[in-house]
Amino acid sequence: MVNFFKRMRKLNTILEVRTGVGAALFPNAATATKEFPTVTRLHLTYARKIYGGHQGARHFWRRALPRLKYHNPSVAMTVKPTDEQDGPAVLTVYYAERLSSTAPGIAGSKPVVDKYAPAPDANEKSAVIDLKNLTFEEIWRRVQASTGAKDFVATADDEANAKNLADISARAPGDRQRIKAIRQAKKDQERMLAEARGEVEKQ
Amino acid sequence: MSSFGAGMPTVARGILSSARLPLREKSIVPTLAGLQQVRGLKNQKKDKGKKGKSEAKPSRRAPLEFRQGNLKDLTQYTLCDAMRFIRAIEVGRERTVSKYEVAIRMRTRRDGPVIRNMIRFPHAVQTESRICVICPPGSKQAKDALAAGAVLVGEEEVFAAVKAGKIEFDRCLAHPDSLPALNKAALGRILGPRGLMPSVKTGTVVEDVASRVEMLRGGTIYRERDATIRLPIGQLGFSPEQLRDNLRTTIESIKKDAAGLNDRINKEIYEVVLSSTHGPGFSLNGEFKTDDSPETSALTGL
Repeated sequence: MVNFFKRMRKLNTILEVRTGVGAALFPNAATATKEFPTVTRLHLTYARKIYGGHQGARHFWRRALPRLKYHNPSVAMTVKPTDEQDGPAVLTVYYAERLSSTAPGIAGSKPVVDKYAPAPDANEKSAVIDLKNLTFEEIWRRVQASTGAKDFVATADDEANAKNLADISARAPGDRQRIKAIRQAKKDQERMLAEARGEVEKQ
Repeated sequence: MSSFGAGMPTVARGILSSARLPLREKSIVPTLAGLQQVRGLKNQKKDKGKKGKSEAKPSRRAPLEFRQGNLKDLTQYTLCDAMRFIRAIEVGRERTVSKYEVAIRMRTRRDGPVIRNMIRFPHAVQTESRICVICPPGSKQAKDALAAGAVLVGEEEVFAAVKAGKIEFDRCLAHPDSLPALNKAALGRILGPRGLMPSVKTGTVVEDVASRVEMLRGGTIYRERDATIRLPIGQLGFSPEQLRDNLRTTIESIKKDAAGLNDRINKEIYEVVLSSTHGPGFSLNGEFKTDDSPETSALTGL
């Protein structure tokens, strides 16, 4: 297995799922209000290529959805990539009992139809958000506005970890140059020795 | 090594770097003599002798044991926390594709026997494993094998299908009665590289075909490679309890295998890493959950 330090360095980079865009808590059974009911599940449909305004939807899946899933482990999230570039890029949000007060406004006047989204259960209501031609940050703003998700407050540990990683990245260019010089010097020396032994042509 | 002896003549540096000895100006005899010494292994040895006995002869051999990292350098996670991260990173992946995987690092010697066995999980990981049985068609074994869930049973029709390039199975068993026919059909070229060729040595030529088929359907083969055993351990929808049961079975089975080896062979488990098809690896600390972990019901399903 790989060196532990290397492994931890990579793992810590991946573990940015704790903070960032999309790190927020949906209203659950304990925190739900009349205005913002519990979110039970999400479904995202988008087309695999970016043409036709599908880029933001895919980025939302790759960047924001893991954070949402981390902070809301009990909310089921499904993603359906299609090959239909002209098809919809839609996020369907399922609420328990009733829609949130802001959801209808964000869904727009002519709601898009997502044939891949599962039908809401008897005690669920679903609202759609059209994601076409939006950046993933904008998509997240709309999701947050319609669900009333509360941003996760980074702990001291998270901040220390982020600072540590930032420091390493800041040091990296210098380190890279230093290592490059060492490797080049070693190569030069080997080349010189090979030339002296007559194993390679002199340049 | 590069700055090492930078001020010295080229040839002397050559000796230095090839013999990997610390710099001692005195020991490098005149440059001319050095020139003659460049390639001779014998001369290098003599050269070493001159340097005195206090210097240990550098060992060219790899260490006897696999090198282990220090576990203190590692952040370890409880099972529930690791599952929470993995489920977050696997979000939106297809249910049938993503699996939990485990890598078990052993503390063991580089030589000697390796662990290789098969286990049956309390909660099946593979939803489907297609098994082919080569035995005389119409015999009792053929009927039993079919009843046990083999997808392809027979002799000639199997050989024909394989020769035509249609290999629609993941495992292949054979009955001893069919062994001559199998050898005559010369399928080793086709099945061998895929690891499907039945042979007595791998335990895929058996009398009781049916029971073996049953075992294989729920079983997973694992094997130690470079001191690590890797195997899929659960579907992404498993609850933490289900995953814990499977993990426990795996570790017990591996411990049993390690104990069953020669008395002088000492193998023990050093580290257990949980990962998934697309996810990173999380070293486990052996605990089930912490107070901050979410409810186990929240970590179940997709």
